[in-house]
Amino acid sequence: MEIIVCIKRVPQTAEVAVKIDSTGKGIEKDRLTFDTNESDTYALEEAVLMKEKFGGNITVISLGDEDTEDTLRIALAKGADNAIRIKAEDFGVLDGFQTSQILQSAIKTLNYDVIFTGCISTDAAYSQIGVTLAELLEIPHASLVVNFDINNERADVQRELEGGLIEHLDISLPALFTIQTGINEPRYASLIKIRRATKKIIKVIGKDELQQDEFISNSTLDELFVPPISKQVEFLTGSVGESSAKLAGIFKEKGLI
Amino acid sequence: MKSKKSMVTELNQEIREILIEEGAEDIYKCFQCGKCTSICPWFQIEVFDFPAYTFSLKTAMGDMAASEDKFELEAEIDMIYRCVGCEACTDQCPHGISTPNILRAARRLLVDFGSYPDTLKSVVQKIHSDANPLGEPREKRADWANGLEIPSFSADLEFLYFTCCLTAYDPRMQKLSKATSFLLKKAGISFGILGEKESCCGEAIRRIGSESIFQEVSKANISNFENYLVKKVIVSSPHCYSTFKNEYPEFGAEIEVSHITEILFDSIERGTIIPNKEFNKKVVYHDPCDLGRKNNIYDEPRNVLKSIPGLELLEVEDFNRNLSVCCGAGSGGLWMEWDKDERIVNVRLKQLLETGADVIAVACPYCLQMFEETLKSMNSNVLVMDVTEILLESL
Repeated sequence: MEIIVCIKRVPQTAEVAVKIDSTGKGIEKDRLTFDTNESDTYALEEAVLMKEKFGGNITVISLGDEDTEDTLRIALAKGADNAIRIKAEDFGVLDGFQTSQILQSAIKTLNYDVIFTGCISTDAAYSQIGVTLAELLEIPHASLVVNFDINNERADVQRELEGGLIEHLDISLPALFTIQTGINEPRYASLIKIRRATKKIIKVIGKDELQQDEFISNSTLDELFVPPISKQVEFLTGSVGESSAKLAGIFKEKGLI
Repeated sequence: MKSKKSMVTELNQEIREILIEEGAEDIYKCFQCGKCTSICPWFQIEVFDFPAYTFSLKTAMGDMAASEDKFELEAEIDMIYRCVGCEACTDQCPHGISTPNILRAARRLLVDFGSYPDTLKSVVQKIHSDANPLGEPREKRADWANGLEIPSFSADLEFLYFTCCLTAYDPRMQKLSKATSFLLKKAGISFGILGEKESCCGEAIRRIGSESIFQEVSKANISNFENYLVKKVIVSSPHCYSTFKNEYPEFGAEIEVSHITEILFDSIERGTIIPNKEFNKKVVYHDPCDLGRKNNIYDEPRNVLKSIPGLELLEVEDFNRNLSVCCGAGSGGLWMEWDKDERIVNVRLKQLLETGADVIAVACPYCLQMFEETLKSMNSNVLVMDVTEILLESL
């Protein structure tokens, strides 16, 4: 089975202070740590599990700058066979639609049965790359996948819906699946695979090699800002008894109890 | 490939080579005597087997984090991150081999490939971004000093007081930095602070294996020392002490570093601090690994305590000074979650409590946090106090 996994190198911002940069359209990245986008790590693990079950090859692909090769190398150490970087430095600022078109122009020349992507990136959070890419490649897709298997050369997939519902689908291949976090347990890389990954050659593709000149944009980023504080937090003071009584009073006042 | 039933491990030269490249060159000195294992704090945890003596041989065989099986590999990496870097093994080793350094060679590679515990990834991210492992804003680093009239450091002041991240931000630990600044003023010592320009010393992330970010933060600190013409530094944390003294020189730092207990004992000897109020309690002193075993500072903290009237100083017989057992916080241990019956802190607390002390005296914010937080869950009346806090009560 030929599997492609699209991954993204993202700044880790969940637990640290984030500041808007001088352009007003990005964040200061100097002191941030970068890693593989969280749901992409689950997408890669799902690919490795499928390869362990059915054999085949995994190709990881990422549109990013030179540092992205570190992220691709981590994927190689965790079980991918080949890695491709599309040079982000050949393009200007890209929206999600353009990113999907660029990925499509690189992927359309490859053989694949299954494409996995993460369901959302933790930086831009558009959630559109996987779905748009599937449409451009004219293949079926399923998003927010929480369970995946292959039976009789068709995908047996469960999707997570709101309200605790699960949708069970049978999908013909080739197809694309955006993977939800928690579907599996991403693995560590062993030292021998780390060693081998450091020696592997990552294929780098420039804009000229994509056989497509124009990538249409359909959105522009106007501004990135920290939302104004609408309500201040109220700290309840006094002894445990006093502050508990005040809290109970507030609950009663608001009709919560 | 290693068979489950086979006792024979196949040599993996590639892994051996990369581990030696990353600093595990001591492996060939090991002759498997086992002294490291019997002194290792994990040896006293009955329910978890941590055979320290095997790590040199396993590294020499290239059998570290080598498993092809996902879950076996997870267990191997968990083992690599169990080491608290206390160097009790190094202290006892006939050849002075540092098992923590051998394990750190593997950690460095694992960190570069995102293959280490998530809780430690978070520490690395926060130190890189916010210059402290708590994820607190840089601009609040000097908030503990509000209203205390502590000057910003300038070249006309003798000492820079470099607060540990915990004593800068944690409300409980701020009592240490406040006590320290009060005592330094009392002793007539001229000192200032760098406030938000101060970055974490980086000790913890170097031990975790994040070498590149350690070097980044250490160079930021060294550059500040140079720009502000800092020559002498006083620290609260033995971890800052050890790093500044033993590791920053490799990046060009030229500073003289003192632990606060050294300064305080000197002040008591000079008579600039006179403890005259009785502290009528039985106090047991716990030697922090980074102060005692790694830097031979055993007597100064004890002498400060001995100078306090009414204080009865107790010792953990058999497990004091260089044989002191780690609190479990070193090398990332502060942030690790091990099962309740697999915690080194419980071993050490049992030893300390068995002395019958009313107060456990520490000289390290990490030890203080480990002991105090654990005692809370034991409903114990025993207090944990820093040496500076006890001295302050006797003035």
